[in-house]
Amino acid sequence: MCDLPAVAARNISRAFGSVVAIENISFEVAARRFVSIVGPSGCGKSTLLNMIAGLTSPSEGQIEVFGEPLVGINRRAAYMFQRDALLPWKTVLGNIQFGLCLRGYSQKKSLEKAQAWLQRIGLKGFGNYYPYQLSGGMRKRVAIAQCWIVEPDLVLMDEPFSALDVHTRFRMEEEILNLASRSNTTVIFVTHDLEEAIALSDEVFVLSASPRTRLVGRYPIALPKPRNLIDIKSDREFQNLYQTIWRDLRKEVLKDGDRVHS
Amino acid sequence: MTEYIRKKSTIVILQLLLASAVVGIWEYCSASNIVDPFFFSRPSAIMLRVGHWTATGFVWSHLLTTLLETILSFLIGSCLGAVLGFVLGTLPTAAALLDPYIRVGNALPRVVLAPIFLLWFGLGIWSKVALGVTVVFFIVFFNTFRGVREVDPLLIDNARMLGASSGQLARHVLIPSALTWIFSSLHISIGMAIVAVVVGEYLGASKGIGYLIAQAEGVFDTTGMFAGMAVLAFVVLLVGAAVGRLERRLLRWKPLQDSLAPNRFP
Repeated sequence: MCDLPAVAARNISRAFGSVVAIENISFEVAARRFVSIVGPSGCGKSTLLNMIAGLTSPSEGQIEVFGEPLVGINRRAAYMFQRDALLPWKTVLGNIQFGLCLRGYSQKKSLEKAQAWLQRIGLKGFGNYYPYQLSGGMRKRVAIAQCWIVEPDLVLMDEPFSALDVHTRFRMEEEILNLASRSNTTVIFVTHDLEEAIALSDEVFVLSASPRTRLVGRYPIALPKPRNLIDIKSDREFQNLYQTIWRDLRKEVLKDGDRVHS
Repeated sequence: MTEYIRKKSTIVILQLLLASAVVGIWEYCSASNIVDPFFFSRPSAIMLRVGHWTATGFVWSHLLTTLLETILSFLIGSCLGAVLGFVLGTLPTAAALLDPYIRVGNALPRVVLAPIFLLWFGLGIWSKVALGVTVVFFIVFFNTFRGVREVDPLLIDNARMLGASSGQLARHVLIPSALTWIFSSLHISIGMAIVAVVVGEYLGASKGIGYLIAQAEGVFDTTGMFAGMAVLAFVVLLVGAAVGRLERRLLRWKPLQDSLAPNRFP
């Protein structure tokens, strides 16, 4: 059971009309790994993630989740979106509890768990606030709690911190690293920031430029854990990895630029 | 906050000044025969009439009838509009099928329906309620429809990822979204209900503010007509304030949209 990959993509392609967005991608993500996917903008990172989530299905090929072929919504996954997805008419506590409430937990039990999470994300005393009353960083924390409170086996994140300022973003990354290392959750993290990808992950996937996006490289990140996100960026090994991956990614980014300008 | 109260009270004082200026000019013009008091009456006479109506209790039963008709048409129209709006919002094919008929129905001037409703439902309150329903129904219908259709797809995806069934999706995402639209149209739908009901009473009734105005008109009693309008205006103001408070309570998860209010961070 433990040896089954959390996600296995088998020759998946995805076309939108006559445009082939993703062509013949195969990979496996072992359980409990933290994998980042990087690639030039518009290369289909989100499409790939949406297929793993079961929100869209591949035109060809198949995705397996813990050994089972994925049909419909991926029930073992939680998804953190790039944009705010909190329900504006629910309070902070209501939003955190939402997943538990949908799973039919008793009001008492889900409230108890939500209170614990509220404390954990440092928003104690904000339980009865509505999302519009919170800052962007606070809303992201609520989204993190909403996502992790259901104890998913797999967490999918689509550039969740791209809209945040540098400091808030840094704290969120620490929070995620902390959560991932303390649970048995597999994480697939989409980003365009290579530094972020290397610092957080066990493995980095590089996608090619669109259209007909392929998987052009997989780089295991052997940096020791637990990691300190401040110090790691001046680490020698980190910089070597960055150089290596950036060489490949750069080619794709430039290709993408040529396509846009020609 | 004190800043806010000061600004707000300044506005209220200016509003009262504006009203008294208009009334003052009107009173002066009528009193000095610049305008004919027979056609324009006098504010003082109108106030006396309203005072007389309320003191003798004459106006209450008429007012009550108008309010009852308004509330009934609002409730019935809202329920019908919300249910049909929700159903068509979730069934695009049915919505496309019914689209031209709904447009035609909405384009129809309601006044022309009043005589038909009089024939069908008689002189009592139900012909007015029916007229009010045809107005409220379309407002609530269109708002519910939009609310269901224009939910951010991201919210739906998020709820589905968190494990929502289609029933739960309706309960936690679609209905609250539709309610937002319905609540924000409360002012319009209640206001329009009052208008429709009064028009209905005016065209044929045995009770109500519209009936009072029509009666006064029948005997060229302009003071009575204006008194009826004054009572109506007062009621509309009261209802508007009540609806405003209700809306604020129901939509408390939304940022406050009072242009005078400072940015609040409670």
